[in-house]
Amino acid sequence: MSEVIKIPELSQLEKGRSLTQDALARLRKNRMAMLGLYFLLALIVIALLTPWIAPYSYEEQNLELGASPPSAQHWLGTDILGRDQLTRIMYGSRISLAVGFIATAVALTIGVLWGAIAGFVGGRTDAVMMRIVDALYALPFTIFIILLTVVFGSSLLLLFLAIGAVEWLTMARIVRGQVLAIKRQEFVEAAISMGLSPARIVSRHLIPNVLGPVIVYTTLTIPSVILLESFLSFLGLGIQPPASSWGSLIASGVEVMEEYVWLLFFPGLILTITLFSLNFLGDGLRDALDPRASRD
Amino acid sequence: MHAIRWLMICVMAAGLLSGCGKSQKLVDIGNEQQILHIANGDEISDLDPQVTTGMPESRVQAALFEGLVARDPKTLKVVPGVAERWDISEDGTKYRFYIRENAKWSNGDDLTANDFVQSWRRSFLPALGNQYATSLYVVKNGQAFHEGKIGFEDVGVKAFDKKILDVELIAPTPYFLQLLAHHSAFALHIPTIEKFGAIDERGTKWTRPENFVGNGPFIPVEWIPTKYIAVKRNPYYWDAANVKLNEIRFYPIPKYTVEERMFRAGQLHITYYLPRDKLEYYKAKNDGVLRSFQNFATYFYRFNTTIKPLNDLRVRKALAYSVNRHQIVEYVTKFGQKPAYALTAPDPNSYVPEAKMPYDPDLARKLLAEAGFPEGKGFPTLTIAFNTNDEHRNVAMAIQQMWKKELGIEVSLENVEWKVFLDRERQMDYEIDRASWVGDYLDPFTFLEMFTTGNGNNKTGFASTEYDSLIRASALEADPEQRMFYFQKADKILVDEVPILPLYTYHWNRLVSKSVKNWYDNPMDYYSFKQIYLE
Amino acid sequence: MFMFIVRRVLQAIPVLFMVSLVTFIMIRSAPGGPFDEDRAVPPEVIKNLNERYHLDDPLWKQFLDYIANVVQGDLGPSFKYPSHTVNDLIAAGLPATLELSFYALIFALVTGLTAGIIASLKTNSMQDYIPMSAAMVGICMPTFVLGPILLLVFGIWLDWLPVAGWGEIPGDKILPSITLGSVYAAYIARISRGGMLDILSQDYIRTARAKGLSTSRIVFVHALRGGITPVISFLGPAIAGLLAGSFVVESIFQIPGLGRFYVTAAFNRDYTMILGCTIFFAFLIILFNLLADIVLVWLNPKLRQELEARG
Repeated sequence: MSEVIKIPELSQLEKGRSLTQDALARLRKNRMAMLGLYFLLALIVIALLTPWIAPYSYEEQNLELGASPPSAQHWLGTDILGRDQLTRIMYGSRISLAVGFIATAVALTIGVLWGAIAGFVGGRTDAVMMRIVDALYALPFTIFIILLTVVFGSSLLLLFLAIGAVEWLTMARIVRGQVLAIKRQEFVEAAISMGLSPARIVSRHLIPNVLGPVIVYTTLTIPSVILLESFLSFLGLGIQPPASSWGSLIASGVEVMEEYVWLLFFPGLILTITLFSLNFLGDGLRDALDPRASRD
Repeated sequence: MHAIRWLMICVMAAGLLSGCGKSQKLVDIGNEQQILHIANGDEISDLDPQVTTGMPESRVQAALFEGLVARDPKTLKVVPGVAERWDISEDGTKYRFYIRENAKWSNGDDLTANDFVQSWRRSFLPALGNQYATSLYVVKNGQAFHEGKIGFEDVGVKAFDKKILDVELIAPTPYFLQLLAHHSAFALHIPTIEKFGAIDERGTKWTRPENFVGNGPFIPVEWIPTKYIAVKRNPYYWDAANVKLNEIRFYPIPKYTVEERMFRAGQLHITYYLPRDKLEYYKAKNDGVLRSFQNFATYFYRFNTTIKPLNDLRVRKALAYSVNRHQIVEYVTKFGQKPAYALTAPDPNSYVPEAKMPYDPDLARKLLAEAGFPEGKGFPTLTIAFNTNDEHRNVAMAIQQMWKKELGIEVSLENVEWKVFLDRERQMDYEIDRASWVGDYLDPFTFLEMFTTGNGNNKTGFASTEYDSLIRASALEADPEQRMFYFQKADKILVDEVPILPLYTYHWNRLVSKSVKNWYDNPMDYYSFKQIYLE
Repeated sequence: MFMFIVRRVLQAIPVLFMVSLVTFIMIRSAPGGPFDEDRAVPPEVIKNLNERYHLDDPLWKQFLDYIANVVQGDLGPSFKYPSHTVNDLIAAGLPATLELSFYALIFALVTGLTAGIIASLKTNSMQDYIPMSAAMVGICMPTFVLGPILLLVFGIWLDWLPVAGWGEIPGDKILPSITLGSVYAAYIARISRGGMLDILSQDYIRTARAKGLSTSRIVFVHALRGGITPVISFLGPAIAGLLAGSFVVESIFQIPGLGRFYVTAAFNRDYTMILGCTIFFAFLIILFNLLADIVLVWLNPKLRQELEARG
């Protein structure tokens, strides 16, 4: 009896769920992805609250103490100027996360639009758009970022823009390649021949199919953006002292890794965990958003 | 299954690698064949002694050329070079040099007095753009010729005969002989230079190893940019019988961590410097490879005295008196540096500045209040600019904290890329900036001349007629004691007027393999490669 | 196909021109000049030097003169290394940089593709997790951290391999190639896994599976071609990245390559050297992108047909 009653309820529920809800439900089942998501959320909350909860001031020095290993007073040790490393990492996460997310958002927006339009419209438009990408690709961006920071002085805004401007190109190419590949496949050709409107083809067929690679690439872009920032720190062009980013902490930690290993280990560890979390979350999203994958 | 196969491949690869055994040590091979492997800091830009200005170039040039005089690397005393002896007139303005009969160029040509005359003439030619041309202004009419006012026949350098050179100076310059050991006063083989371009043309191919002609104990044989420059023994060198090394390889290694690793792995005999954090390790190890010595060089901050509030002497004093130099060298730079309280780097054998900038935070606070900023209230946020470098950054951060703690003022820090830094400094577009000075020769003049009015290296807006006249008087004074008296007074003026904030005297640490013999450290970091040998 | 290549080569010319113009404008607007030094250089000397190198001409004229020389293959004299021309320096540094990038790419492709394909076939097993986690670590690890760690372990502690040099001591090319290639290996592993998974879930592969074809046949005959398409799209930029990234590896391992010249040229304001290297790198990057596109077209029969139809 009870089963008979349940069946209509279930089918109603299925109908009422949107695609997104569906995806979310699938995501929730993925334990690693959720773990990554919780970690990232916690990290963001801590980063936002840092000015109120940090144990020390990020620039407060204790010259007599110097570099000291982790202790009860300084859980993650202190750097060469005797500054508390936990505090420095907490403040650094504000910069690094901001650089990572904002620059990636910039890159994502430009890249996906550009690549999707080029790939879908095709023909002359595609050729022109991709030549522009080629031209920009041909610029050695490392040097350009160096020159930009030299000309305009290094500022956070410049970092966002410069890094975002570098990263969108690959995104555009990947999206275009994917769009081209999918366009050639039977189901899309069928849709075209059936006279479906371009908007409908894009929204119903292309976007869902392109989403997977884009998400995977985004999870790769955030780390590479964070790393690019650290490379600039390595060249001395990153964030200005006494502020710190994970990149600048790692860049100075690697120079002293044999003497004060904790100055490399902890910033490196937090960076790695963050990037792993982003990765698991990305994979989880990919599986959740790809309807075909979920049927397996 | 796959995992196991992978594991096997890894194990095999590791086995292969370890099968290669210990890697071959360049140092051991070098010891057998008398080949010295030495790190040389930045890439050398050229070998022309009248064009280059850097330390890395001057080290290579020390192997490829020999001046009229040389310096004893142990004591820095002037010793005969190409000239076996010289006479000085009583008033100290006329020099006669007797060039060795057997002195030759590396192509076998005889080295004559006229070679020096023609080389010095070249060094004054405007189109060459020799940055050390001014250092030979002490030669009579040198300046007038350089400025194109007179012909070269009136300049005070003449070949008396084939092997005798006469030089006339404008004043009894006591450091003149030291100047002659500097690369800008070396003799060049003019016919070779003219073969590859005009005599005053920069950057022709005459300095390439295949074309090069010099008169030093070594000649270049291979120059691969960013890899190394290799020099071999010069058979025509007059003292070739006493040169023991067969070859020297100078490696351009800008990163100190890289050269330290190379030294540990047996790929270098001598490093250029040492990463700061490695000092403790080598001190503790105490195996005789660490060389530690003071330099004739000062690290200081410039104040822009032309802008508010730094045009107020009380403000400058307040800033200067609240800096604890002892703490900086002890806990920040940690490399053996000595606090500096005056500009001129001390040389225990001749001159130690007596004037001392005090460390007195109470007085500093009082002065700042008098200047209108009690407890730092209302003090504008000044910026300390420094070129990109960890050490400069750490020092600046420490000073920032000291001023905050002692005076209650905030300063911001700005990390500036090197060329931008120089550009701003030249245009006086800075407030406080980081500076250093390395003495060209062992005399206080090389430091103090800098702050005369309008000197290109002054860059602080500081101008004092009393100071200028002291420096001028010291240049014309033959009596050593009287000169030192002038220098003491000049140093005192800088301490009182505070256009600069001296912080510390440089200290050098480097690693020298125990197989290197006859290698001496000195405050000028001057080398003579001819006596060095490997064991 | 031939026309396609010709068209792309012709398109490269305006691209190269734009690249040089943008670079020229940027470096000339950077403060400081090539002859600024720590100890003040007398203004007359600077004037003489500017005259000597025609830096006192109007900027547009300098640019046009420069382009005219470049067309004839002359990249001009270096300001920082007066006795060398930019052509000399590029010729001196290029072999090591190319060789290093090549070895790094081979390393990246071999390890990356192997790991990616294995992982895609065994999703959610240890053969998936281990290589993918390793790939993630590889991506997280900046070359300036990985390099010193490898050096410390294999060069100093184990004393198996030299810590610096290029072609001087046997084995000195191993660590730099791995250091430079590892990030790309990681990317390739991830991208090829993603690409393979996409293809493997397509209907025709399902059909092939349903028909009972063997896994290796499915992988190598059907899936690989489509699955590595994203990898090939990635290769063009990867090579560009390898060339640009070689700077860090070159400075850590003391390799006489172009990357070191290039980055230091920017700091030295060695105008001709920056321009020359930029144009040269741009040329290389365009070349490799073209090659990647040719392979893409060749792998996709439909694209090929379309190109042939267009002529």
